[in-house]
Amino acid sequence: MALIADPDEDLVRRVGQGDSAAIQAMVARKLPRMLALARRMLGDPVEAEDVAQEALLRAWRQAPRWTPGKARFDTWLHRVALNLCYDRLRRRREIATDSPPDRPDEGAAPDRGLLAADVGARVEAALARLPDRQREAIVLCHYQELTNIEAAVLMEVSVEALESLLSRGRRALRVALADMRPDAEGA
Amino acid sequence: MTSERFIALVSAYGADARRWPESERTAAQAFMAAEPEAACAALAEADAIDALLHASPAPQVSMALRDRVIASAAEAGLKARKHGRLWLDRLALALGAGWAVAACAGVAAGVIMTGHLTSDAQADAVLYQSSLQGVDDTEVLG
Repeated sequence: MALIADPDEDLVRRVGQGDSAAIQAMVARKLPRMLALARRMLGDPVEAEDVAQEALLRAWRQAPRWTPGKARFDTWLHRVALNLCYDRLRRRREIATDSPPDRPDEGAAPDRGLLAADVGARVEAALARLPDRQREAIVLCHYQELTNIEAAVLMEVSVEALESLLSRGRRALRVALADMRPDAEGA
Repeated sequence: MTSERFIALVSAYGADARRWPESERTAAQAFMAAEPEAACAALAEADAIDALLHASPAPQVSMALRDRVIASAAEAGLKARKHGRLWLDRLALALGAGWAVAACAGVAAGVIMTGHLTSDAQADAVLYQSSLQGVDDTEVLG
């Protein structure tokens, strides 16, 4: 089996040796990525911080016994964070019972101006309303900038299935945010 | 690349060619050059969705979270070894060796410097003994 080139290999090795400069570099490199992933998957800033912290904690435990060449460390870390996100999403579904999730649709009110500060929040809310798998596909490919092959492996689907999830997710976002498009009436 | 495949590609990955699968990028760009009208409609649609996605800002990492995560490295059993510690260890070793060499040199110098004093004392003793009793040098020095 061919060895997988990993840009994090040297950093992980130094982290495993307890090099404090490497630990700080790893935090600078990975914590923003894990926080962004969790925030967009969960839509909750506090839960996102918990997930990002737990993912890095597992990275510290893994680093001393990390075997280079088998997988990219970044992909492994995404897998860890996604599992943590899915644990929380599952728990939410169990608690939700009959009542729908508290995600108000803030779109398309006639007096609602498209202030710059609102746009991000509208997009985030629309993303949160997508089915989990469509959201995961968009988060991994668009925001985390993983390749289609990396994302498909992480999601345990074929590349064709990934593309289908991406297309459906993007189409749903277009519909949900139709009033925000430049060509929309009153936008 | 067919028109259907191009539309499927940009519907999934967006209008930015850098996000397209590497294996299909060249063919897709060739399709754009050959069929600009068909490509433009699909690209404009995808570009509008890309712009919406970009409007969602990435969350900022707070200093408190950063500090908690760094502290968790020690909790996870990673023994903090400050960068450059090895260099300090080597310096300390070199300084220790220097002190040892200096101490040896001092002992050697002491032996050499006091050696002639011993010889002088022995010579004085020989002269003194011979003047008193007329004994041979070998009897005094052994």
